[in-house]
Amino acid sequence: MQPSRFDEVAFFRALDQSGARALLIGRRALVLLGLPVLTADYDFWIAIDDIEPFNVVAARFDLRPTRTPDQARQHGRYVLENDEHVDVLVARSVPTFKGESVQFDELWKERVRVPLDDVHVSMPSLDNLILTKQIRSRPKDLEDIRLLRILKESRS
Amino acid sequence: MIPDGIADVIERTVTHEELEDALARPIPVDERDEVTALVRWFTTRYSSAEARLSYVRQAYERWRGHARPR
Repeated sequence: MQPSRFDEVAFFRALDQSGARALLIGRRALVLLGLPVLTADYDFWIAIDDIEPFNVVAARFDLRPTRTPDQARQHGRYVLENDEHVDVLVARSVPTFKGESVQFDELWKERVRVPLDDVHVSMPSLDNLILTKQIRSRPKDLEDIRLLRILKESRS
Repeated sequence: MIPDGIADVIERTVTHEELEDALARPIPVDERDEVTALVRWFTTRYSSAEARLSYVRQAYERWRGHARPR
């Protein structure tokens, strides 16, 4: 199967213009920060009230949700997919592996906006990105924490 | 498709000790320099965010092509 002609810049532009509060998390956020890591999918954490506008943007790119907004709110997660795969976290807060509570509103308040062509991509600050990596705490998350810590040190 | 055995290893939850170590251990200078050099290469060779995203998409497709069963 050929990869889709998914236009990332157009997607992020539409998202930026939609007003949906969506933070790019996961490895693509690391890539935007300058870390060359391999990844297959997109990961977003969105405001629990913004599922509908987020899905409207996704629909323009033929990305279909695996759950209705109500189901997504109930489960805290859903996926948008065609031959692209977008994992969407939708919760007011999520506990880390250590039991610390990570609040979407806090991450949104402290977000950074990374320029991408003529738009900006919202993502958590470096410290908060490290925090999001402690939610699942898989081996690759530890590797990402290592890279983010070094990036942070090199910037300070 | 990743075989189950490998997926189990990739997707396992690390131990508290492993997480604490990742968060707190001092990072040796040579390790830091290696990553810093990699970032410098990546951000110089692919100087815009869109170029970096595009590179990763292509790199993933190459990886998937090699990983696909023959």
